[in-house]
Amino acid sequence: MNLMANMRRESTLMLRDRAVIAWAGVIFLLAVYAVWVGMAEVKQQRESITWLLQQDTLERDAALTHQSDYGGVAYYSFHLTYDEPSNLAFAAMGLRDETAWKHRVRMLALEGQIYERDAGNPVFALIGRLDFAFLMAVVWPLALIMLLHDLKSSERVAGRYNLLVATAAQQSALWVSRALLRAGLLLVVAVLPFVTGALLSGASLLAIVLVLAMVIIYAVFWLLVCYWLASWQQPSPTILAANLGVWLLLAVVIPLAGRITIDQLVPLPSGSEILMTQREAVNDAWDLPKQDTFDAFVATHPQWQEQAKVGQGFQWDWYYAFQQVGDQKTQALSDAYRDGRLHRHALAGLVAWVAPPALLERSMQRIAQTDLKSVITYESKIREFHAQLRQFYYPLLFGDGAFDADNLQQRPNFSLTHSNDS
Amino acid sequence: MSPVLLIAKDEWRYWLRSNLAVYSALLFLLLLVVTSVITVSEIHSKAQHLEHDQNQAEEAFVDQPARHPHRMVHYGHYVFRTPLPLSLFDPGLDAVTGKAIFLEGHRQNSATFSDSAASAELGGLAWLTPAVVYQLFAPLLIILLGHGAIARERESATLMPMLAQGLGGRTLLLGKSLALLAAICVLLIPMVIAMGIAVANGALFSASISLLAIYFIYLCIWGVLTLWASSLMQSRATGLASLVSAWLLFSLVMPAALINWVAKQHPMPGKIETDMAMLEEARKLGDGHNANDPAFAQLRAQLLEQYDVENVEDLPVNVRGIVAQYGEEKLTKTLNEYAQQQAAGEARQAQLLQNMSWLSPTVALGLASRAMAGTDLHHYQLFLKAAEQLRFDFVQGLNKLHAEEVTYNDDVNKYGSAEQQARARVDASNWRLLDEFEFHPQGTSARWGQSTVTLAVLVVWLLGLTSAMFFQAGRLQR
Repeated sequence: MNLMANMRRESTLMLRDRAVIAWAGVIFLLAVYAVWVGMAEVKQQRESITWLLQQDTLERDAALTHQSDYGGVAYYSFHLTYDEPSNLAFAAMGLRDETAWKHRVRMLALEGQIYERDAGNPVFALIGRLDFAFLMAVVWPLALIMLLHDLKSSERVAGRYNLLVATAAQQSALWVSRALLRAGLLLVVAVLPFVTGALLSGASLLAIVLVLAMVIIYAVFWLLVCYWLASWQQPSPTILAANLGVWLLLAVVIPLAGRITIDQLVPLPSGSEILMTQREAVNDAWDLPKQDTFDAFVATHPQWQEQAKVGQGFQWDWYYAFQQVGDQKTQALSDAYRDGRLHRHALAGLVAWVAPPALLERSMQRIAQTDLKSVITYESKIREFHAQLRQFYYPLLFGDGAFDADNLQQRPNFSLTHSNDS
Repeated sequence: MSPVLLIAKDEWRYWLRSNLAVYSALLFLLLLVVTSVITVSEIHSKAQHLEHDQNQAEEAFVDQPARHPHRMVHYGHYVFRTPLPLSLFDPGLDAVTGKAIFLEGHRQNSATFSDSAASAELGGLAWLTPAVVYQLFAPLLIILLGHGAIARERESATLMPMLAQGLGGRTLLLGKSLALLAAICVLLIPMVIAMGIAVANGALFSASISLLAIYFIYLCIWGVLTLWASSLMQSRATGLASLVSAWLLFSLVMPAALINWVAKQHPMPGKIETDMAMLEEARKLGDGHNANDPAFAQLRAQLLEQYDVENVEDLPVNVRGIVAQYGEEKLTKTLNEYAQQQAAGEARQAQLLQNMSWLSPTVALGLASRAMAGTDLHHYQLFLKAAEQLRFDFVQGLNKLHAEEVTYNDDVNKYGSAEQQARARVDASNWRLLDEFEFHPQGTSARWGQSTVTLAVLVVWLLGLTSAMFFQAGRLQR
C-alpha cells in the first residue's frame, strides 16, 4: 500500500472521528470570529481617525480666530497625530490596546506631551483579544494536542494496534499520514478565514505569504512534538499531560522567565524621572535670566543668533526657546527610555527562539506593524512632525513680520503610511 | 471509619502512588511559588519607588521659591499610583494602566507610563501572577487529579463489584469529592500564606478572606465538573480529553472571545474624541488666562457693582485671580462631565463583560478577584477621580492666592523690572496648601457590591454542577 492510498483510507476514517470534526469546527468558528471582529475593530479605528482629522482642522481654525500673534496661534493649535492600523492589523492587534495610536501635540515642549496616552479600556489590554495571532500561537497547538496525543495509544487500548501495524506495509506511513491529515485539516480551517480576511483588507500578497509560511512552520513544529510524544508507550492521559507540560513550558514558563530576566537586566529610566526632569527644565526658565535661555537655544540653533534678543516683558520667542531648551535637557533620558525599550524588545526576540508561541505572535505583530518597534516608529514620527512645526514657526516667531494668517497655510500636517499595505 | 472517609483516603493513596498526579502537583507548586516570589518582590519594589516618587513630587512643590501663584498652577504636581497590598496576589490592571499623572491648571491629563508597554514583549501569558496561576492552571491540576476518580474504577472493573456490595453511588462520589476537596484545600495553602503577607502589609482582613473564599468556590466548580465528567465518561482517556477541552474553551478562549464581543458590541470613543467634543464647549466658556475675554465681562461688571467701584484697579481683590478661579471652576465642571462620560462608557463595557461571564467561570472569577483585590477598573477610576480632586483643590487654592495676595497693578506689571517682578510674587510658605495625596480604596462591603453578578455566576455554576454530579451518581448503580 502506498502513501496515497493510505491517505485516502485515513481521510475517510478521520472524517468519521467525532473529535476531529468537533475540533476542526471549533477552530474554524474561532478563526472566523477572530478575523471578523479584528476587521471590525480596524474599520472602527480608521473611522475614528477620519472623524478626528475633520474635528482637528475645525478646532485649529476655531483657535486661530481669537489669535493675533504667531505665539498665540502656536500655543492654542493642537495637531492630531495618529498611527493608522495596517491592513494586517486585524490579525494581530499587538500593542494597540495598551499604547496610544492617536495623540494631539502642540508646539510646547514635546517631552511633556509625548507620553500622554489615550489608550482604551485597560480591561481589554489585560485580558487581551482573541485575534488570529493569539488563536494560532496559543489555542491551536492545544487543539492539535487534543487530536494527536492518543494517535497510537487509543489504538492500543482498542486492541487494534498490533493488527494495524501488522497489516500496514510501512507502519510509519500509517501514523504519519494519520497525524498529517489531522494537523492539515486543523491548519486549513484556521488559515482559510485569515486569508479571506487579509484579501478583503487589501493586505499585500507578500505579507500574506509570509504569515502563511510562519504559520505552517509553526504547525509543523507542533506536529513533530505531538508525533514524538504520541509514540511514547504510555496510556493516553500520561501522554496528554506530557503534551500539556511542553505547551506550558513553551507558552508560559519560558516567556515569563524571559520577561522577568530581561526587565531586570535592562533597566529603564523611570517615568517619574523623565517627567520631573522635563518639568524642572521648563519651569526653571521662568526664573532664569532670559539671556541664559537664549544662549542655550542659540547653541543648537545658531541661525537665530541675531534675532534672539532679550526685550521687555513677555516674549513668545523666548517662551518657545525655553520649551526647546527644556526638551534638550530631557533628551538624554528620553533617548535612554527609547533605547532601553528597544533593547528589551531585541532581547525578547532572542528568547522567543526557544518559545515558539511568543515567536509566532511577535513575528505576526511585526508584519502587522502592531509591535513595540511600530510604537516607537510612531513616536519618532511624532518627534519629526514636532520638529517640522518648530522649523515652521521659528522664522515667524523670530522674524519681524507682522501677523498674517495667510502665512499659516504652509503649516505642516502629520502623515504616516505603512510600508506593506498594497 | 465511615465508607466516605475510606474512599477519600484510598483516593489520596492512589494519587501519592501515581507519577502523573505527583509530578503535575509539583509542577503546579513550583509555578505558584516562583510567580508568588516574583510578584511579591516586583510589587514591593514598585510600591517603594512610587511612594518615594510621590514624596519627592510633594517636596519639590512645597520647596519652590516665592513666585507668582499662576506660575505654580502651571508648575503643577505629580500623582503616582502606588499598588494596594492585595496586588501582591492579584495585580490586576496595575500592569496595563498608567503609573503617573501630571496635574496642572486647565487640563486633565491622562495617566502615563504603563509597565506592560515598556516590558519585554513575550505574549500575554508572560504576565503570570499568583492569581492567574490559580485562575488558569489550578483547574488543570484538579482535572489531572480527578479525571480518573470514577472512570478508573470503571476501567479496572472495580466499579460494579463495589456498587453491588451495597456501596451507594452517592456515597462513592461523596468520598471522591471529599478527597478532591482536601486536595483543593492543600492547593490553597500558598494562597493563604500570600493573604497573610498581604494582611501584614495593610490589606483588609475581610477582603482577603473573601478573596480566599471566591477562589475556593472557583476551584470547587472545577472539582465538581471533573468528578461529574469522570462518572459520565466510559474511559479515563475520553474523560480527560473532554475536561481539558472544556478547560481550553472556558479558561483560555472564552475570556479573549468575550473581549472581542464587548469591543464589537459597545465600541467607545477614546479620550481624544471626547476631548474634541469637549473643547468646542470649553471654547464657549472663555479662556481663563485672559481677563478681558467677553465671557468674563459679566463677571467683571458684577464685581464692580458688588464693591461699588468704577475701575477694576480699585477692586480690593485682583480681578485676574477671580477670573482664574471662575474659569477653572466652569472648565472643571465641563471636564468632569466628559471624564465621567468616558468612565461610564468603560464601566458599561466592564458590565457587559460581567453579564457575559455566565458563559465562563474563569471570566467571572477574574472580575471578582480584581474587584476584591482593589485592582479592577472601578478602583482605577477612583484613583483618577482622587487625582482630579487634588488637582482642582490646589489649583483653586493658588487662584485664591492670586486673587487675594497679588494686587491687580502688581499683576499687570509682573514682567517688568526686577522689583516689579518681585512684587507680583507670594511667599514660598504658601505652597504648603498642597495636600498630601491619599488614595482610599473601597471597603470590603463595597467590593462585594461590585461583584454581585460575578459571585452569583460562581455560586450558580457550583450548585448546578453539584446537582448534575449527584444526579449522575444516583444513576451509577443502574
